[in-house]
Amino acid sequence: MATLALAPVFPVLNPTPAFAHGERSQEPFLRMRTVNWYDTEWVGKSTKINDVTELKGRFHLSEDWPRAVVKPIRTFINVGSPSSVFLRLGSKVNGTPMFVSGPMEIGRDYEYVVTLKARLPGHHHIHPMFAVKDAGPIAGPGGWMDITGNYADFTNPIKTLTGETFDSETMGTATGIMWHLFWAAVAILWVGWYMIRPMYLIRARVLAAYGDEILLDPIDRKFGAAMLVFVLVVVTVGYLAADARHPVTVPLQAGEAKIKPLPIKPNPFVVEVTHAEYDVPGRALRMTLRATNNGTEPVTIGEFTTAGIRFTNAAGAARLDPNYPAELVAAAGLTMDKEAAILPGQTVDINVESKDVLWEVQRLVDILHDPDQRFAGLLMSYTESGERLINPIWAPVLPVFTRLGA
Amino acid sequence: MFRTDEIIKASKLPPEGVAMSRHIDYIYFIPILFVTIVGTFHMHFDLLAGDWDFWIDWKDRQWWPIVTPITAITFCAALQYYNWVNYRQPFGATICILALLAGKWVTIWAAWWWWSNYPVNFVMPSTLLPSAIVLDCVLLLTRNWTLTAVIGAWMFAILFYPTNWALFAYSHTPIVVDGTLLSWADYMGFAYVRTGTPEYIRMIEVGSLRTFGGHSTMISSFFAAFASSLMYILWWQFGKFFCTSYFYLTDDRQKTTKVYDVFAYATLAHSDKAKLSGGKA
Repeated sequence: MATLALAPVFPVLNPTPAFAHGERSQEPFLRMRTVNWYDTEWVGKSTKINDVTELKGRFHLSEDWPRAVVKPIRTFINVGSPSSVFLRLGSKVNGTPMFVSGPMEIGRDYEYVVTLKARLPGHHHIHPMFAVKDAGPIAGPGGWMDITGNYADFTNPIKTLTGETFDSETMGTATGIMWHLFWAAVAILWVGWYMIRPMYLIRARVLAAYGDEILLDPIDRKFGAAMLVFVLVVVTVGYLAADARHPVTVPLQAGEAKIKPLPIKPNPFVVEVTHAEYDVPGRALRMTLRATNNGTEPVTIGEFTTAGIRFTNAAGAARLDPNYPAELVAAAGLTMDKEAAILPGQTVDINVESKDVLWEVQRLVDILHDPDQRFAGLLMSYTESGERLINPIWAPVLPVFTRLGA
Repeated sequence: MFRTDEIIKASKLPPEGVAMSRHIDYIYFIPILFVTIVGTFHMHFDLLAGDWDFWIDWKDRQWWPIVTPITAITFCAALQYYNWVNYRQPFGATICILALLAGKWVTIWAAWWWWSNYPVNFVMPSTLLPSAIVLDCVLLLTRNWTLTAVIGAWMFAILFYPTNWALFAYSHTPIVVDGTLLSWADYMGFAYVRTGTPEYIRMIEVGSLRTFGGHSTMISSFFAAFASSLMYILWWQFGKFFCTSYFYLTDDRQKTTKVYDVFAYATLAHSDKAKLSGGKA
């Protein structure tokens, strides 16, 4: 009881910064079966204030898109960051600028590049995010990016079409504050006009006893009429002055981004999941794959990735980007009963196990609490010549609650 | 200059009573009334019109001038009722908007700037103070709440856009980024990352209103004026409901009557009060 009672007090007594965004609290079906992120790169893990860097990568919209999630008919590539630590200078998806949202297609791949300008110094956890209207933001893998320097040095001057240069940090601030202070002064004058005289009790007594004849002071009416005229004049002058100062304006732009998916790349390697189970005590997803190699080169399976978590064997680990966050990688987490390459023309059934504590740490084991117990992800395989083949896979998951033979 | 002496004399309060009433004015007005309005009105306003007022890239030609005055005139009408009917004080709307802006600026500095590090220009609130002063002036000059609902409430809404154009005209300056035309406000909304607020959340420039010959703002403002008038009437009545005290009196024949004149209670004889305890409350 004491612990419970003191629980709300501890954060106050011992405040520690929150470094992440609660991405692990998103349900596994959201993270595994909507957006399959890959090739995520946090370019320039340490930048100085005003330096420009990039967050880029690719994603596949899963064919196993959950029934409970609205289809991606209005989507937006966003950045998950603790406030605007970076300024987003631009965002392109498949080479098309994405300033506004737009539809994307299930089963297709997209490549994004977000250009960022360092704004606030610190050690920041940055995610790509895929926001779907009526479904919410879906966080991608998070990586750390450092910004050094002093915020006071940050500037972001932009030239407008009218030839002026606006700085996004300061443009309009002084004008806005000036008008707010001006109108506050006028309002305080208006209220103060009545505050300097008895305000409440005395007037209530007089009103109850004699009506309002005495209370309605003729000078108040004169002051009210003058104030009315003054306000109307100032509003008109302010409007006309602003219009003259900024004669060329456009409405807010609320269009729709039209983005074509990446072309479908021919893939001679065909993979189908014939059985899948999640071993709860063993923290392992076991799949039986029927793989057919229709190509001309032997193919080796190297990686299974889902929800930004990467399970690799030796073949996959050799190709890992060393800058990918280590906390999201199980370098030896992928094992198979048939490690040999699948030869051209060969069809094999392979038992694949992706096993690591990451299933628990990343709270993907919560799949067992979903109303639709399925998984989805990407299987990465490699030909002898080094070409990467990507196969989206998905299947229902059967839980195994006790160790076999126990 | 004022009728203060005449009013104090008519109140028939002794000098110490007058002094005490002024103390109560000061204690009640700032610490209680003003802070209460800050808390309640600020919450009410932010829940209904918050995003349009928080973000510069929500301040469009259509929804912003509709949603903001309609939402803001509510408490103004109720407070006008309270201040006018009970005290003949014509500053109910102005004090409401002053309190709202006090709350908003606390939020801007504490939450948006100090805590979240968004620049002030990105979260600059609109102002309704000229609208509120005009609403109060109309009530004072007409001394009639129906005329205030028709004339004052219309002016309250109509004045909103021209008042704020002085603050936000610059934000509609066009720029081109990556070959795409944006207003400065669009650029700000894009550049300053809001993790939980993707672009499609914006409710701007949608609907059939903008097909009226391109004059979206004027049409929106007149619609807002009409709706504000109705909202004023509704919230004036709310003010009346919450400012009206009543009790039920049961007479010797067990007939129960609703009595509005609470002052009458004080004049009842002790025996009559005792009878009330048996009546319905």
